[in-house]
Amino acid sequence: MMGRGEVHRMSATTTPEPAAAPPAPPAPPMRPAPPVRPSRMPGWLGNPWGRPRWLRLTTFLYIAWSLLPVLAAVVFSFNDGRSRSVWQGFSTRWWWGDPNLSVFHDPIYTNALVHSLELAALDMLIATPLGFLLAIGLSRWRGRGSGSANFLMLVPLTTPELAMAVSLLLVFTQLSVLPFTAIALGTTAQVIGQVTFSVSYVVVIVRSRLAAIGPEYEEAARDLGASARQSLQHVLLPLLLPAAFASTLIVFALSIDDFVVTQYMSAGGETVTIPMLLYANARGAATTPALNAVATIMVLVTLVGVGGAYLVLRWFGHRSGEAQGDSAGQMGMDLTGME
Amino acid sequence: MEMTAQATTVPAIGGHGGEVRLQSLEKRFEDVVAVDSIDLHVGSGEFFSLLGPSGCGKTTTLRLIAGFERPTSGDVLLDGESLAAVPPDRRNVNTVFQSYALFPHLNVLDNVAFGMRYQKVGRKDRERRAREALELVELGDYAKRRPHQLSGGQQQRVALARALVLRPAVLLLDEPLGALDAKIRRQLRIELKALQEEVGTTFIFVTHDQEEALSMSDRIAVMHEGRVDQVGTPREIYEGPATLFVADFLGVANVMEVEVVGSGAAGCRVRVGDYELLAGCGDLGLTGSASVVVRPERLHVMARDQGGENCLPGMIDRTIFVGSNLQVMVRLATGALLQASVANDGVDLDSHEQGRPVSVHLPPDALRVLAPAGVTPAT
Repeated sequence: MMGRGEVHRMSATTTPEPAAAPPAPPAPPMRPAPPVRPSRMPGWLGNPWGRPRWLRLTTFLYIAWSLLPVLAAVVFSFNDGRSRSVWQGFSTRWWWGDPNLSVFHDPIYTNALVHSLELAALDMLIATPLGFLLAIGLSRWRGRGSGSANFLMLVPLTTPELAMAVSLLLVFTQLSVLPFTAIALGTTAQVIGQVTFSVSYVVVIVRSRLAAIGPEYEEAARDLGASARQSLQHVLLPLLLPAAFASTLIVFALSIDDFVVTQYMSAGGETVTIPMLLYANARGAATTPALNAVATIMVLVTLVGVGGAYLVLRWFGHRSGEAQGDSAGQMGMDLTGME
Repeated sequence: MEMTAQATTVPAIGGHGGEVRLQSLEKRFEDVVAVDSIDLHVGSGEFFSLLGPSGCGKTTTLRLIAGFERPTSGDVLLDGESLAAVPPDRRNVNTVFQSYALFPHLNVLDNVAFGMRYQKVGRKDRERRAREALELVELGDYAKRRPHQLSGGQQQRVALARALVLRPAVLLLDEPLGALDAKIRRQLRIELKALQEEVGTTFIFVTHDQEEALSMSDRIAVMHEGRVDQVGTPREIYEGPATLFVADFLGVANVMEVEVVGSGAAGCRVRVGDYELLAGCGDLGLTGSASVVVRPERLHVMARDQGGENCLPGMIDRTIFVGSNLQVMVRLATGALLQASVANDGVDLDSHEQGRPVSVHLPPDALRVLAPAGVTPAT
């Protein structure tokens, strides 16, 4: 039953060695290492420890390709002449200097700018709270219908925007049923259209944040004596604050950027936004570099929105220690004095 | 933590120990029975552990007591009153979560003071009591820190202070030491037990770590597949396991399949292969096939020629040196492998080397007869 031959195998390890051990026997000859097969690739490319040069080059080329046109548009907004393609010297006349045709003097531009900001503000004010309610509701909805509701919430994200715009137009202008008859094309329809698709983004952002937070903080609050409403108010909402900031800024960027829905819902010159203006005048012969200036404003505003959302999220992450972060973030938190 | 001296003078934490009774408590999730009709009584001021492997229903039981889940049937009584219609925020019961669930947007002091604002405690009293509670867990200097700036052990103490400052009748602890490393865990085990004795609150402690449960609890309920297999003091459960599962889950147990061949005043005689042994404890009324369990530390490994009554011949299969003792695996002539624990009191290692023929003495009072695997005893 038991291998007799194995009996003494372990005895060597358990027997204590004598104090003065005899010199160790010479090490057995090492087996020669297998020959290294020479790589067919050149050294700098075949070297697995080398820097990822190709990746860097590709990335750099892509960034250049995507930024250069924007940069060109920005540069020509400072052109001294009327041309948007031939450089005639630096000036700020299309930004401010020209009393009639500059961005901030020509009523076509200023109206569009004001209307764009107006729509963005309304979209933010409506879509963010609405998205919050939907997200919290969806995350608590268990059982029948919750799966399809979750899926349907994502439909506006995937619907081609043109399809949605045309459908909304048909509904608002053709259907003679309340509440659609009450909605006239113009600002109201534009806001409703923008809210319709931007709510989905808010829901996605807030739901992912809710999933990251998990149910435990709310349970802890309930356990410590907070009612359902109090735990929402004192624990969940503060924890959702970064998502609130982020989604507000994203909604802002979406609204400022939107062309298709806003265009279809518009009614005349009063409801022209910057993207609509850009679209209408991009190829016009009479168009001045003031249009480039408007485009530049768009780029900056969107950049501020999205960049701000990123920074806010990162800052909150550091604050609550989610990203065990660099000392700069930690220091920023200490300096702000926590409360 | 040195909370011993202070806790008697400062009434910052602790309350009367509540008495908890679970009555035919059952919880189903869809088709899964998480808690299967449990009856338990936890006495006032007791340190009571729910011990079992993951998925045995111990955490669900805790959540039913806390009120996070509603029982499918049955009831939880606190000091004789039903909690069936009481939401979690109205129960005089607090929880220390496995992940601590310290609010990341509040500093340590505000975390500890959180619950008092719902108890109509004035702002000043809130802060004073929160500070006292933090002092008790030796974190007075950390009041203005954020939870994530504390170590795991410190976070755990904040969670304890946050719950105990509300003076609950019962404190529920869901694997509170699970996220800590081994050394801190051993230290906190002692401190937690001392704290519990000091404040007098009833502790219901959920763990899968048998050593934790044995070293801290007044009584333990061993749970298995949604049921309670056995309730008793640590010693009763370790030395007198009622089921094979309990014997196996608490420490190492040698299990042998035997045939009961007769019984007498001293115990019953069981047959293992060609040998007969006298077993002195367990379910001595069993007949037919049964299991016999014996703890490794109760076996005596002797030279082959020293054998006598209740001895089985075997051969050492392997010896593992673990410092304070030797784990000797003995292959019996019946084919079974027994693990024996031999105290390292200067024992001669050579006499336990591999392949040496030995005789294993199984004292009758260490041999416990249980219903064979798969058969639940009729208790």
